[in-house]
Amino acid sequence: MKLKLRLNGTPHEMDIAALKPDLELRIDGRGHALRETGGTGALRHARIDGEDITYHQARSGNRAFLHLGGRTWIVEFVDPRDAAREKVQGSGDIRAPMPGVVVSVEKQPGDPVTAGDTILTIESMKLQTNLTAERDGVLAEILKSEGDVFEKGAIVARLQEEEDGDA
Amino acid sequence: MRRITSAINPASAEFKTRAARNRARVAEFREMQRAARDDRPERDIRRLEKHGKMRPRERLELLLDPGTPFLELSSLAANTEYDGESPGASIITGLGIVSGREVIIHADDSSVKGGAWYPLSVKKIVRCLDIALENHLPVIHLCDSAGGFLPMQNQVFADRYMAGRIFRNQCLLSKAGIKQLALVFGQCTAGGAYVPGLSDYNVIVRGTGAVFLGGPPLVKAATGEEVTAEELGGAEMHTSVSGTCDYPAETEEEAIAIGREIVQQWEKPKKWECQRDDPVPPHYDPQDLYGILPDDIKKGFDMREVIARIVDGSRFHEYQPDYGTTLVCGFANIWGWKVGVLGNNGVLFNDSALKGAHFIELCNQNNTPLVFLQNITGYMIGREYEREGITKDGAKMIMAMTCSHVPKFTVMCNGSFGAGNYGMCGRAFDGRFMFAWPNSQIGVMGGEQAANTLADVKAAQMKRNGEEVDDTVLEALRETTGKAYMEQLSAYYATSHLWDDGIIDPVDTRNALGMAITSALNAPLGTPGYGVLRL
Repeated sequence: MKLKLRLNGTPHEMDIAALKPDLELRIDGRGHALRETGGTGALRHARIDGEDITYHQARSGNRAFLHLGGRTWIVEFVDPRDAAREKVQGSGDIRAPMPGVVVSVEKQPGDPVTAGDTILTIESMKLQTNLTAERDGVLAEILKSEGDVFEKGAIVARLQEEEDGDA
Repeated sequence: MRRITSAINPASAEFKTRAARNRARVAEFREMQRAARDDRPERDIRRLEKHGKMRPRERLELLLDPGTPFLELSSLAANTEYDGESPGASIITGLGIVSGREVIIHADDSSVKGGAWYPLSVKKIVRCLDIALENHLPVIHLCDSAGGFLPMQNQVFADRYMAGRIFRNQCLLSKAGIKQLALVFGQCTAGGAYVPGLSDYNVIVRGTGAVFLGGPPLVKAATGEEVTAEELGGAEMHTSVSGTCDYPAETEEEAIAIGREIVQQWEKPKKWECQRDDPVPPHYDPQDLYGILPDDIKKGFDMREVIARIVDGSRFHEYQPDYGTTLVCGFANIWGWKVGVLGNNGVLFNDSALKGAHFIELCNQNNTPLVFLQNITGYMIGREYEREGITKDGAKMIMAMTCSHVPKFTVMCNGSFGAGNYGMCGRAFDGRFMFAWPNSQIGVMGGEQAANTLADVKAAQMKRNGEEVDDTVLEALRETTGKAYMEQLSAYYATSHLWDDGIIDPVDTRNALGMAITSALNAPLGTPGYGVLRL
């Protein structure tokens, strides 16, 4: 399995060629032998291609922060599922997922919104549901007000068209 | 598996309001539980002391392995019944560890009305033995009951699930090789005599323990014979003459010590091999649950936030994340055990019901236990949905869930209304264990809807009788029936009637499920297969 990672923002590909006796990594096609030789807490010692090095390390989520030779290196492991998610483009139409009634309107036309912001709260089947923006944008219009009933699939609010090019 | 990314902001006003409300709810629950466990009339305590008897929870402390968890079940049984005179339905049940073996305990609570069995006491003992049968858990009975509560004998004695069921279950347990030990601390009279009588092993305390079909007063009335309890069915007689009891003990402490040694002889069961990884605690703090659960039953919340605070490492492999989104399905681990989780994120539509049925099939194919997290107002209703076959799609989910051969567990997280209760493994569907949160509500419909429906029926009736429809009458009806209905929706009413295995603090859910799953693996899987799925 090839792993994708970013070193200070630059993408690299890495795979593991061997685990024993030393860890052998192939990074962008070049092989490296690596062995951890000790350390406590954030302080680590390792031997890479025969050379002994000492560094500090901290981790947060899928990122590792290394301090080595007076510089900080940020290693980020790229999860292919994240990349796929980023590509999904939300629609500007906010549609009712089921018939119901509007309980409250949270935004006004002209308001800037970010994906996930609640535009309206509806009630159906004894349950309140928040209708949220699928993408960032500016609210163009709200077609229903408090107390209005609507059918499934009705457009209840709309974001302004996204501007192309220079935006 | 990927860690769930929480969108909760503990600094928000909403979080704080909800947390305050839910912490108050849990404090109220804890106080009710404490009172049910500890508050007893002075008279009853003195009577126990006079007879040299321990209180039932003191006995439990000596019996259970030190430092091991005890998961008490249905601690608030009968809390709405009998004018509160039968706390915990006068019975203590729970999962615990004795001499290194997982067991289930049934202890009579003689610190209230001599441990007399009320109708719900019987229901609680029967449930305890059903759990033993379903999960192959050995039983330890701590006997100290005056017998059936005579003024209510019509509700404890004769029917299929009344007292006879206790003894029927005892026989089936023994037949299945699931061991039972009875420790006789008080008088076991009439039917109660069969608890030690049908146990594989029993111990009786000299002086206070006795076993007989009819006690001294009944014998005198029936035949004129005068005899003391000790002569009639005491430790000396039963352990040396009749052979009804196995081991005499001088004190309660000794009886418990002998009991622990007996359990030590029992073979340890082989667990069914469920897939297991190393357990790790959730990444997100379970205390956050207080700020996630809404202060109004109508308000929604993302069940993934709850899952993230129950499962190992908050890691969740979500199945069909973009389809049937009102039912969240996916694989996770609890205490290391692989489980399939189904949680409600809104009304069940056709697609969510189909997704649920398919995911249940996947879990059965993969021998993965199922965990249902209920917050459901029902399956969607209306013309369009009926035309799309919402009824038959719901039927598929119910069929797949009911016929599952893997063990099922249910947590009542918030609402449980209408057929949604069924599809999400409600009480009737033989889940191995079911726990409820103090905020949860259960009913055939919501409180407002029920009050309005009843008022509509009344108005129609008035019209039929040629009366004028009086709005003040309707409003009064709405209020009174609404209030009564709301009381019955409460988690306390449900647990009072043994519709679950007990209310728990939401923070304890992971451990309760962990113990429940571990216990359930003592029994082999059921028979695979489903009925006819209406396609």
